[in-house]
Amino acid sequence: MANINWRTINVDAYDPESALNFPITTLLPANLPAPSTSAESAQIGQQVRQLLRAGDSLGALQSALETAPLAGDDSAKQVHHATVLEVLQGIRQSDVSRILNEMLKQPGGTALGDTLMKYIYKGMASGAGGGGKGMSPQATGSGFTQIQARNFGEGGGGQVMSVLLSWHEKLTEVVGVGGIVRVMSDRRTVAPCTKLGRHPSNNCQAQ
Amino acid sequence: MAAPEVHHLFHAPIADHSFSADRNTLAVARENNVDLYQRSGKSFNLQDELRGHDKTITGVDIAPRSGRIVTCSQDRNAYVWEPSKSGEWKPTLVLLRINRAATCVRWSPSEAKFAVGSGARIIAVCYFEEENDWWISKHLKKPLRSTVTSVAWHPNSVLLAAGSTDGHARVFSSFIKSTDERPEPSAWGERLPFNTVCGEYLNPTAGWVHSVGFSPSGNALAFVSHDSAVTVVYPSAPEQPPQAVISISTQLLPFADLLWISESEIVCAGYDCEVYRFSGDASGWQLTGSLEAAKDGRPGMEQREESALNMFRSMDLKGRGGVEDTKLKTVHQNTINTIRVYQDAGGDVQKISTGGVDGRVVVWSL
Repeated sequence: MANINWRTINVDAYDPESALNFPITTLLPANLPAPSTSAESAQIGQQVRQLLRAGDSLGALQSALETAPLAGDDSAKQVHHATVLEVLQGIRQSDVSRILNEMLKQPGGTALGDTLMKYIYKGMASGAGGGGKGMSPQATGSGFTQIQARNFGEGGGGQVMSVLLSWHEKLTEVVGVGGIVRVMSDRRTVAPCTKLGRHPSNNCQAQ
Repeated sequence: MAAPEVHHLFHAPIADHSFSADRNTLAVARENNVDLYQRSGKSFNLQDELRGHDKTITGVDIAPRSGRIVTCSQDRNAYVWEPSKSGEWKPTLVLLRINRAATCVRWSPSEAKFAVGSGARIIAVCYFEEENDWWISKHLKKPLRSTVTSVAWHPNSVLLAAGSTDGHARVFSSFIKSTDERPEPSAWGERLPFNTVCGEYLNPTAGWVHSVGFSPSGNALAFVSHDSAVTVVYPSAPEQPPQAVISISTQLLPFADLLWISESEIVCAGYDCEVYRFSGDASGWQLTGSLEAAKDGRPGMEQREESALNMFRSMDLKGRGGVEDTKLKTVHQNTINTIRVYQDAGGDVQKISTGGVDGRVVVWSL
């Protein structure tokens, strides 16, 4: 009995009414897409890239947003995030307004606009620090490679940021501040969990 | 559209406001007290102060027929204030038995009971017990998982809608045997013992629900939530999926309160400091515009051009930008917190009153 350090017991875990024991799943709607893995996301990424190369920017963007892994695990979200960034960078500035207007006019368009806004914010959050185009964190090897990657990332990161900012401006014209508020209040996130602790206050879905 | 009647009462937020039945008395929650204003001509003058609560008052409601005022506060108490012949108000403490702040309070249409939402994940439905001569509360607990932000009564005084920060809007039955009569069967349910959940609704984007409201007939439920969306629910039958759940995602900042003005129109107001109208039916709803539409367009543009000249001139002279940039173009200068009915004629609401964080109560003609 004397060996137990009472101070390290997490009291909240035993309290049924605490925030830790709040069932986050009750906040998610019943019509979530099925949980997906990174393999599936990679497959989707291939299809989207094909559409992009074929010149169908609207179709590429739409399919990338519709298949967003809202219920997937972290790696799926990471892979898909890279795909979306590629699509955003692959569309010319002059086409952006036209594509946005067309995409949002269709039924279910507002949901796609909200998902796009989520990806833009996620991209802006990680773009400056994590480096540029679709590089996954596993790419860093030895220190030397890291330095090289970082240099490349600086230049690349800046470019990604300017692309994201211009997309953000055009999207806000169409979706308004309501779209930005929905990014913050929606529990179905497109961002992989980066925080260390599993505290329920972060937007983590995988609990 | 007549110009809105603006009453700038004081420079503090108004958490809740309520008019008496003849609209001559206005009760306004101001920090720990309720200020009672009496109308004299075109303005309201401070007449009385209801002191009793220790912490910020979060809800005030005046019962139209009996004239009683109920207040609830963050000190976990609610008081019912009875008007006496001499003009004094006599407070009666209500035992809510909650261990967190009370957030909202509303009289039922029958005025025999009222509901108090709280941060204790409980709604306390209070009624007067004759034998002991006090107000006693019964708790609605079961599926509530987080703070209750707003409550709204169905016209039959038995069904209660509650919005909560767990993203759900729920409809409960608060049938109390000694006080209520058996309600007519409706789309919400037939046999309704206390604490039956007649419906639980969630938005896909699941923001905190700020306000709920039943339509004038009680056959539809609308709620506004923090994801800038308005959702309208049309139930079909008890235990069945609803006939329609229509969610309108807006481009505006979130709304804080809503009010049905007829079976097919809703007004909402919130963090944009403006009142917006929505209209529709079971097949779809749309945003139809703001009550302050006249400000946009041409006159605004000209003002902006002129103020550019003035802006630079005043920057030169006084070292700061133009005068225009500190005042909002809307009537309310800060978030609108509550919308109440001011004047209605046989079901259609003609005037509404809004109260906000800027200390103004404004009466709008629709």
